[in-house]
Amino acid sequence: MPKKLHKSRATMLIAWLVVIAIGGLLVWVTQHNARWYREPIVRVTQVQTRPGTTVEDDFHNQDVQTKQILTGKILNGQYAGKTIVLNNVYSRSKAMDQRYRVGSQLFVTLHHHHGDLSGTVKDLKRDGPLVLMLWVVVGLLLLIMQFSGFMAFLSVDLNGVLFLLAIFLNGSTQGARVLWIFGSLAIVFAALTLWLVLGPTRQMVITLATTLSGTALAILIALLVFHFTHEKGMYYEAMEYVTQLPRPLFLAETLLGSLGAVMDESTDIISSLFALKRERPELNAAQIFKSGRQIGSTIMGPLINVLFFIFVADTFPMGILYLRNGNSWGYTFAMNMSMGVVQSLISGIGIVLAVPLASFLASRLMTKKVTL
Amino acid sequence: MSTISVLGLVLLLLMALVGGKAGIQSFLALILNFGLLFLAMVLVAFQFPALTVTLVVGLLVLALTIFMSSGDDLSSTVAFIASAIVLVGLILVIVPVEHWAMAQGFGPEDSEDLEGLSVLVGVSFTQVAIATAILSTLGAIAEAAMAIAAGLGEILEQHPQVDTKSLLRDGIDVGKQIIGTTFNTLFFGFFGGFLALFIWFTGVHYSFGEILNDKVFVAEILMILFAMVSVILTVPITTWVMTRAVTGQRRHQAAVTAKKDEQK
Repeated sequence: MPKKLHKSRATMLIAWLVVIAIGGLLVWVTQHNARWYREPIVRVTQVQTRPGTTVEDDFHNQDVQTKQILTGKILNGQYAGKTIVLNNVYSRSKAMDQRYRVGSQLFVTLHHHHGDLSGTVKDLKRDGPLVLMLWVVVGLLLLIMQFSGFMAFLSVDLNGVLFLLAIFLNGSTQGARVLWIFGSLAIVFAALTLWLVLGPTRQMVITLATTLSGTALAILIALLVFHFTHEKGMYYEAMEYVTQLPRPLFLAETLLGSLGAVMDESTDIISSLFALKRERPELNAAQIFKSGRQIGSTIMGPLINVLFFIFVADTFPMGILYLRNGNSWGYTFAMNMSMGVVQSLISGIGIVLAVPLASFLASRLMTKKVTL
Repeated sequence: MSTISVLGLVLLLLMALVGGKAGIQSFLALILNFGLLFLAMVLVAFQFPALTVTLVVGLLVLALTIFMSSGDDLSSTVAFIASAIVLVGLILVIVPVEHWAMAQGFGPEDSEDLEGLSVLVGVSFTQVAIATAILSTLGAIAEAAMAIAAGLGEILEQHPQVDTKSLLRDGIDVGKQIIGTTFNTLFFGFFGGFLALFIWFTGVHYSFGEILNDKVFVAEILMILFAMVSVILTVPITTWVMTRAVTGQRRHQAAVTAKKDEQK
């Protein structure tokens, strides 16, 4: 286990080398795992490029489309080892297409027709970069943070599994109870994560209470505002990938999105206050409340920013496409960014509310003498 | 009034009540960040080079977030320099991985949203994907750098003579404390946003292999992983910048006292 690593330089060097070697091995495996897939996979061995043609759309956007003739070897299935010729067209912008290179592995659909084997390209095989980046995260966590990194990763993993289970549950109820499912999931998420970080302590109970009440209050305030403004300027049709009733889904997304940040904020404030009380047990509740407010108000701004960039940056490509398609700035904002902004504002409210909540609960519920 | 303005007013009111002047300043920083993000989008749409725009806007966002929410002292300067280094390092990771994964632009899941839109618009969506990944992690980098720098600043205040070697260890220790909760912020932040997509995958019965290689899925997961890498890297880099700053300060102080002694 990496937590048992000694601090000496040689062991650290070996640890780094081992991590890099495992990373290389994993990437090698993803380049040779075609047999694990049922869909036929082709490795491109030769690329011929035809001269490009310039195209122009209704908005005078110019682009160049180029045809590639790809020669490749089928890697799996009943035609494994056979050579196949495929056509591909890519554009300079590559919004919906790809420019393939020698060595690219592609999913194809094969057509067998009177002894001739032909095929069409479906998509690129992308498990390589995915596995590499995943390993970079795990490797860096273990090398730099050691045991704490392992625990952080474990908690993200457990939450990921719960998240998947909840999605399957949502699917089996046809999305009718999405808010209930993810609302209860939020409680389980928060309890599990805080238990992993803090253990079954009084501090954990206070942090959990703050997290849940902060998030719930933010959603309540949002619902009130929705009610009085009649959701003016909110475009549920602008949400992406929606396959069920959008409004509860939007609330569930917002609830989950804010939960982590509210938990982050509460954990920071409450652990600082517990440390403060340990150092200076003579402080009374009012003083504790005041320091809590002070600590909280310096971290709330950056935390709201974290979520804002996550929620809104995601709409960047679609926003650019809207602008290039002759839409006004206002319409582009409304159709792409408005829902993300609403989500950031609601989670912002939750993050700010966590400050007085955490300070109040900690100042009242901390026992007179705080022990480790 | 629209929902956004009322929610914005509620947030402003709460931030002012809880944080006073600093709270209002943080709110202002948030508005300015939104302006910068929108400006970046418009500039890229006007075919300015996406990477340059992102780098400039990124540095501005980091400066705004860090200096407007905690004033101008040693730890904010350290946090800013460190986050700028992380930003550049992140670009070095993102560019090759995005070129390899080719997860730019839109996938078949987007076809409904793309109806009536021309996708051959002459803007490189590979560059746009790189810009998106960088922009989405800016908040996390700033937050982590500030937390580490503030933690180290506190240690320096209590033990002004701490040597740089133990300061390095302290930085990693502070990092260990924040990494768990920061990862959760990222996890929930991103997964909250992807909820609809994941429901789509299970509803349309994609196979496991199809999901793992799906363009939109890979693009989204890569964004989380980039954000996580940047937060992890922020810990040692901020600590390193802090030790450099402290060493420089001490050398400067030593020179000043030496000079004073000479004059005596």
